Amino acid sequence: MLRRTFLASSAAAAGFSANVARAEPATVSLWHVFNLDTDMIYGGMKAFNESQSAYRIEPRLVPGVQIVTELIRAIATGSVPDLVTLDSPVVASFSAQGTLTDLTDQVVQSKFIKPDVYFKGPWASGQWRGKTYGIPRDANTLGLYYNADMFRAKGMDPDKPPRTWSELKAAAQKLRDPAKNVYGFGFCATQAEEGVFQWLPFLWQAGGSVDKLDQPEAAAALQYVTDMVQQGLASKDVINQSQYEVTNTFMAGNIAMSQGGPWELPRMSKQAKFEWRLAPLPVKDDKQIKADCLGGYDFVVPKGAGQVEGAFRFIEFMSNPKILNEGWKSGRIGPRTDVMVQDPLWPQAYATYRGEMSYARPRGPHPQWPDISRPMQTAIQQALTGAKSPADALREAAAKVDPILAKTPL
Amino acid sequence: MMRSLRRRIGSRGMRILCSAIGITIVVCYLFPVYWMFASSVKTSAEIFANPPSIIPSHPTLAAFRQVFESENVVRYMRNSLAIAIPVTVVTLLLGASGSYALSRLRTRLIGVALVLALILQIFPDALLATPMFIMFRHVGLLNTFTGVVLATSAKSLAFALVILRPMYRQVPAEIEEASRVDGCGTWQTFWRIVLPIMRVPLIVVGVLSFVQAYGQFVYPLTLLSKQELQPATVGIYSFIGAEYADWDRVMAFASIFAIPVLILFLLLQRKIVAGLTAGALK
Amino acid sequence: MLLYAFLAASMLYLLVFIGLPIVYNLVMSVQEVELGNISDLVRPFVGLENYREAWEDPSFRTVLLNSALFVGANVVAQVGIGLALALFFAQRFPGAHVLRGLLLASWVLPALVVGALWKWIFATDYGVANYVLTRLHLISGAIHWLSDPTVSLTAVTIANIWFGTPFAMILVAAGLTSIPEEQYEAASLDGAGPLARLLHITLPSLWPTLVAVACLVTIYTMRAFDLIFAMTQGGPLDSSNVLPLLSYQLSFQRFHFGVGAAVGSFSFIIVLAVAVLYVRTLRRESEG
Repeated sequence: MLRRTFLASSAAAAGFSANVARAEPATVSLWHVFNLDTDMIYGGMKAFNESQSAYRIEPRLVPGVQIVTELIRAIATGSVPDLVTLDSPVVASFSAQGTLTDLTDQVVQSKFIKPDVYFKGPWASGQWRGKTYGIPRDANTLGLYYNADMFRAKGMDPDKPPRTWSELKAAAQKLRDPAKNVYGFGFCATQAEEGVFQWLPFLWQAGGSVDKLDQPEAAAALQYVTDMVQQGLASKDVINQSQYEVTNTFMAGNIAMSQGGPWELPRMSKQAKFEWRLAPLPVKDDKQIKADCLGGYDFVVPKGAGQVEGAFRFIEFMSNPKILNEGWKSGRIGPRTDVMVQDPLWPQAYATYRGEMSYARPRGPHPQWPDISRPMQTAIQQALTGAKSPADALREAAAKVDPILAKTPL
Repeated sequence: MMRSLRRRIGSRGMRILCSAIGITIVVCYLFPVYWMFASSVKTSAEIFANPPSIIPSHPTLAAFRQVFESENVVRYMRNSLAIAIPVTVVTLLLGASGSYALSRLRTRLIGVALVLALILQIFPDALLATPMFIMFRHVGLLNTFTGVVLATSAKSLAFALVILRPMYRQVPAEIEEASRVDGCGTWQTFWRIVLPIMRVPLIVVGVLSFVQAYGQFVYPLTLLSKQELQPATVGIYSFIGAEYADWDRVMAFASIFAIPVLILFLLLQRKIVAGLTAGALK
Repeated sequence: MLLYAFLAASMLYLLVFIGLPIVYNLVMSVQEVELGNISDLVRPFVGLENYREAWEDPSFRTVLLNSALFVGANVVAQVGIGLALALFFAQRFPGAHVLRGLLLASWVLPALVVGALWKWIFATDYGVANYVLTRLHLISGAIHWLSDPTVSLTAVTIANIWFGTPFAMILVAAGLTSIPEEQYEAASLDGAGPLARLLHITLPSLWPTLVAVACLVTIYTMRAFDLIFAMTQGGPLDSSNVLPLLSYQLSFQRFHFGVGAAVGSFSFIIVLAVAVLYVRTLRRESEG
C-alpha cells in the first residue's frame, strides 16, 4: 500500500494505484461521527481510496448522539454497515452480545496492529473474553484548563498551577469573582455518561473504585466536588451543562479553571481571547495517586458486515502512526505508545495530555457499563443537589452496581 | 355562509391600540427566535458569555459563510422540500376525503376510526423508526423520498382527520341538501360545494402538514442513509459533533432553514384573508 | 359508497404505516430483548415481566407523575392561550394577519434548535431569563431553572408551551372562520354585547374544535421528548423526565429494549383512554 500525504492534490488521484487490479473497487461503508473537517478520517479516507483500488470507503456522517441508536437499528434490521466508530465504553455491550465481528485473526496477521504497542486502556476497551472486537482509533483524557491571565490578575503564578486537591480548592476560592461573574472551577455533572467520565478521575485519585462505591474513599471523592458546588466555587448548573458547554463558559471568561479534553483545543485556540494553559489533573493530598479517565473511539466491524477484509484494511491504514500523528490537529491522541507527534500544535497541551495517557484508566470494559454508569450519575446528582449526602447517595449506587459486578466482574 | 369573525372595532384609536398590543405580544413571544438570529451572528464564545449580550457586540456573518462553504445548503433545502411538498399533498388528499367521510357517516365505525387515528399517533418517531425501517427494506423503499413521504404523511394524516372533522360538521346541512336536490352526487357535492367552503381549514391543515414534514428529523435520518438525499434537519446535525457543537453555525443554518417557511406563511396569510373577505357562496 | 371508500383509504393508510410499527413495539414489550437478539423476530416471551420491571424502576413513578403534570399544564395553557390569541388576532386591526402569521415562527424550528435556545435562555448564569428578571427586580436571586429538580419541569413546560401554542392558535383560528357572520349580526341586533357574543355564540360553536385541539395537544405532548432531551435530558434526577424519554433511554442508552417498549406502551394505554373519552363527547354532540 502506498502512503499518501494529505496534501496530495486530487489531480493525483487519477489512477495512481500501485495495485493493478482492474476490478471495480468494493464499497466499504463507514459510519463515523467526526464532523470537524480537519479530522484525520477525511484525509485518511481520501488517501486510502487513492492508494489502492480494491476497496473504496463510502462514509456516512452520523450525528454523535445518534450513532449508538443507528447502530442498534442497523443490527435490529439486519442492514449493518461494514465499519463503525463507537465510543469506547459501549463497545463491550455490543461485543458481549455477539453483534460484532471477531477481529482476533486479522490482528494476529496485521503488520501494524500489535497489541503491546497500544496503551493498555484503549486496547482493553475493544477486548472481550480474550478476543478482539474493536481497534482503538484515538484516545483522549482530561486535563485542567486554566486562565493564565486570571491567575496573574489575582497575583497567582501561572507557571504553578494547582497540583493537589487542596491547592485546586484554594485556587478556585481565590479566582472566584462573583462581581465579574467568574466561577473558580468548572466540570460536567450531567445525567449522562459525560458526568461519570468527569467524576471517575476524582474517584480513582481518592483511592476508590467502581466496585467499592460504598467505601469512604468514594464518599470523599464525591464530597469534594459537592463542596465545590455548594460553596459557590463551581456553578450549580454543572448538573445540566455538557462538557463542551462548560468549556464554552471557560472560553467566554466566566470560569477560571475547567476540566476538559483535547477535543476542545481546536476551538479553544480560536475562541479564547486570553492566555489559556493546560495542567495535568491534580492528585489528592494524602493519596498522591495519579489517575485520569480514558475516552476515545474504537473501530468496530458489526457482525454480518459484507466487507470485513476491506474494513480491516482501512482500520490498519488508519492505525499507521503517520496517520495518527495527523489526528492531533483536531485534538485526537494516538492510542499507541509509538505515536509521538513531533512539533505538535499546542505543544504544552500535547505534552500534558500525552503524559497523562500513561495513567488513564478505561471504563470497563463491561457489557453492562450503561447500567453501572447510571447509578453513579444519579449519585453524583443527588449529592450535588443536596438531595442526599454523598455517602448515602453512593451507598444507594453501590447497591445497584454490586449485583451487576457480582455476575460479571470488571 | 363562511366569513371571518369580524368584530367591529369602533374607533381608529382602538384599532391602533390593538395593533400596538399585537406587536408587543409578537415581539415578546418571538424573543427566542430573535435569540436564534442573534446567536447566528455571534461567536461561539459570546453565545455563552455572562452577562448575556442581548445585542450582539460584533455581529459577523462568518457562521453563515462557513455554513454555505461547508455544506451544500441548496441541496439540503431542496431535499427538505422534496419531502415536505408530497407529504402535504398526500395528507390533503387522504385527509380531506377521509375526514369528510368521518363527518358525514353515521355508524359506530366512526368512533373506532377516530380512536384509532388518535392512538396511532402516540408513539414517538424514535420508537417507530426501527419497524418502519424493516418494513421499507422489505419493499425496497429505503433511501427513497417515497419511503420518507409515506412514513411522514401518516403523522399529519392522523391529525388532519381529527381536526377537519369538526370543521366539516360546521358546514350547514342545507347547502348539501340543496345540492342533492339539484341532482349532484356525493362526489360532486364534495368536490364542487363542500371543499371550496372548507378552503381556509384545508389551507391551514396543508400549511401545518408542510411545516411538520419540513421539520421531520427521525425518519429521514433512519430511512435515508445517503448523504445526497438528506434534508436540512439532518444537515443541522453535521454541526453538532460527537463532543461539541458549533452553535453559531447551527443557528445560522436554522435561520436559513426557517426563512422560506416564514415567507410562505406571510404570503399565505394574505390568501386566507382574501378568501375570507371575498365573500361567500351564493 | 364513496364515503366508505374515503374512510377506508385513510384508515388503511394509517393502519399500515403506523399500526404495524406499533404492533412491533407492543410485541417487543412482552419479550426479553437485548442487543443479541434484537434482529430476531422470535424472542423469549416473558409475559408482563417487562411491565413489572418498568413499574418497579424507581424513576418510573416520578416519570409518570411528571408526564401527567407536563401534559395537563400544556393542554390547558396551549388551548387557553391559543384561544385568546386567536380571538385577539381575529379582530380587524392593521397588521393582524401578518402578526398572527409571524407567531408560527416558533413552530417552524426543529425541536433541537428550540431546545438549545431555551436551554441558553434558562441557563442560570448566562441565561437571558435570569438576567431580565433580576434587572426588573422580579426575583432576588438567580433561579436554577434547569439545575434545580423542583424547577426543571416548569422550565421545560414553559418551553413546550411556547413551542406548541401557535399550532393550537392556528387551528382555533381556522375554526373561528367557520362561524357564520349572521349569528353575530342577529345577536348584536338583539342587544348582546361583546362578552355575551363570546360566551353564547363563539364558544359554543367553537367547542367541537376546541375539544379536538385539546385532544391533539394531549397526544402530541404525551409523545414529545426531543425538546426535553435537548434541554435537560430528563434531569436532574429525572425531575423533568417523561414517559417517551424514559422509554428511549431504556432502549437506546441502556439496551433494555423490552422494558423500553413496555414503558412506551404505558403511554399508549393512557392515550387510549383520552381518545375514548374524546369519542364519547362526540357521541353526545351527534345526538344533540
